[in-house]
Amino acid sequence: MAALTTTFALETQDLTRTFGEGAGTVQALAGVDLAFPRGSFTAVMGPSGSGKSTFLSCVAGIDRPSAGRVLLAGTDVTSWDEDRLARLRRRRIGFVFQDFQLMPYLTAEQNVGLPWRLSGRRPDRARVRGLLDRVGLADRAHHLPARLSGGQRQRVAIARALVAEPDVILADEPTGALDSATARGVLALLRACVDELGQTVVMVTHDPVAAAYADTVVFLVDGRVAGRIEAPTVDAVAARQAHLDEQAVSR
Amino acid sequence: MTGMTGMTGLALRSLRHRLTASVATFLAVLFGTVLIGAFATLAETAFAIDGVTAEQEADQETLTIMGIVVGSWGTVIVLFAVASTVGITAARRAGEIGLLRTIGATPRQARRLICREALAVAVCGALIGAVLAAGVGWLLLDLLRGELVASSVEFRGGPASVGAAAALVTLTSAVAAAIAARRATRGPASLTLRESEAETGRMRWYRVAVALLLIGYGVGLGAVTIFVMADSDDPYAAMQTSGSSSILVGVGFAMLAPALLRWVSAPAARLLARVGGRGAGYLAAYNTSRRAHRLASVLAPVIVLTSGAIGTLMLVSIDSRTLAGTGDYEETVNLLNNVVVGMVSLFAAIMVVNAFAAGTADRRAELRRLWLLGGTPAQIRRSLAVEAGIVAAVGLVVGTLGSLATIVPFSIARDEGVVPDAQLWIPAVIAVAVVLLVLTAARVAARATIRVAVQEVR
Repeated sequence: MAALTTTFALETQDLTRTFGEGAGTVQALAGVDLAFPRGSFTAVMGPSGSGKSTFLSCVAGIDRPSAGRVLLAGTDVTSWDEDRLARLRRRRIGFVFQDFQLMPYLTAEQNVGLPWRLSGRRPDRARVRGLLDRVGLADRAHHLPARLSGGQRQRVAIARALVAEPDVILADEPTGALDSATARGVLALLRACVDELGQTVVMVTHDPVAAAYADTVVFLVDGRVAGRIEAPTVDAVAARQAHLDEQAVSR
Repeated sequence: MTGMTGMTGLALRSLRHRLTASVATFLAVLFGTVLIGAFATLAETAFAIDGVTAEQEADQETLTIMGIVVGSWGTVIVLFAVASTVGITAARRAGEIGLLRTIGATPRQARRLICREALAVAVCGALIGAVLAAGVGWLLLDLLRGELVASSVEFRGGPASVGAAAALVTLTSAVAAAIAARRATRGPASLTLRESEAETGRMRWYRVAVALLLIGYGVGLGAVTIFVMADSDDPYAAMQTSGSSSILVGVGFAMLAPALLRWVSAPAARLLARVGGRGAGYLAAYNTSRRAHRLASVLAPVIVLTSGAIGTLMLVSIDSRTLAGTGDYEETVNLLNNVVVGMVSLFAAIMVVNAFAAGTADRRAELRRLWLLGGTPAQIRRSLAVEAGIVAAVGLVVGTLGSLATIVPFSIARDEGVVPDAQLWIPAVIAVAVVLLVLTAARVAARATIRVAVQEVR
């Protein structure tokens, strides 16, 4: 059993998160069982309020699940304390956010090396440069974020997510703030992280085009897994999404 | 005209939601009016004395000097404090102003909102301050009666003096708000809506000009002290010219705070990167040098506090040594000097605490970002502590430099030479007090902000 578990980069067991008490209780996650194999690209979709953002927060240790377990590369991290979770985020999770979340006073190169700095280490210059080169920003290494376009900022963020060779990259609407042409470039880059670097990517999105870049699409509705599509196409995802939205409205 | 009333209404409604943020402005205006107004009543009382007898004439001169000379020391720092507090409060609204503009408010409307809000708070503070100023002025005169002036002198402070003080402070608030509002509405709406990352913090030419003017004026007064006043028969002539130099030069340096921070922290970045452990110093160093204009709002009051306090206390120290035994007169002058130091320090301390609270709270999103990327709360706190350390260090060095504008001329004028003869521990004691104040203010602000930043639900 143990050997089987560790083939997953990330696994959640009966993941539950409730907000509030008494009559006003909201169940954001109602027992989510998901497993993400190493080297896979998964899109998590669902109507607003479906729990997809809460799912990402609980997995990243930003929010505490009310019940259930989170296993990262086979290790149960659910009950880790805050400092351990912080170290987890800088060493074993790569984060890509909708609004990039670059430090405004650090250059592109320094932003990429930040997780190492937080670990008290000097970043491996060659590795940082190699990653910037990989995301197509070798000539922007010394630019501050304010001087980069949205797409370029997101590429810096992806390079930063890769720098620690994490177990999993968590992307929260990574193309939400980008125009469609720029978004395609960023999605292709995430795809390349999986295909060429063997990374594992879990991406929350509401965009069927973005989801179609993934190997698998998982749908969440009311905090529960409500279906999945393997080898998704834009049309298939859009159709299922519309169907789920209808269900959510009728309830 | 509907636009104008609309913005006033919005300003008043928005004020009600923002009482805590307005408290700092209110307090600065209130205390500022009390301080300036109280000394102004002395001047008004002086004008009311019939200058018939020699004694009356002497009383008139004494009160005029008290009111105008001593009062003007306070006025410089009060106006600086009010301007900086109003500016910080208005600058914090940048994001909200951007939002208003994206839904169709013109830059002019947005500016009006900021200005009217500041004005409403300032008028309240100034009115209450004016009433209190009359009372404090009466107490001041009572203190002087029978010591420095005849017991028969009657308090004549009225609407003219306290009203002028209230008007001056209100006007300063209005100008500061207008400048901050202009800054907040510069550029397209979308830019202000986003976290103002693009701001470079380049200082406007008039800011540099005023700063250099203040420094030049302060140094000039020092030169006058050495070359003209030192030979005067009146032992207090030298004090009149050199007394306020340290505050003037301090305020001048404070206005240049962004440039000072950049110059100091950029070369020191590599060294600083090793302080604090685990990236804390590294982050602090780059934040300080690349966003010096933000941290400058904290550095400025630290410089004024250090410069004014060291300068004035050393002045008192030299004075009490070189003019020993002249009696009550001297005691009262020293008391007044100490009152000024006390009020100046109180003001600067309020500014330091306010600047740290506002400056740190505004960085909530950025601090949360560090936490998301794997920084521990302790690590983020350390990084802010290192920044506070940089501010304290630069503030002490520059502030001490500014205090020399008072100390050196006065020391030479009273024949103690360039370096005063004794009590050189005063700067050290003030340095320790300033460091404690800065680190405590930073620590309290950091704890509160980080706690919120880490708990924020996504």
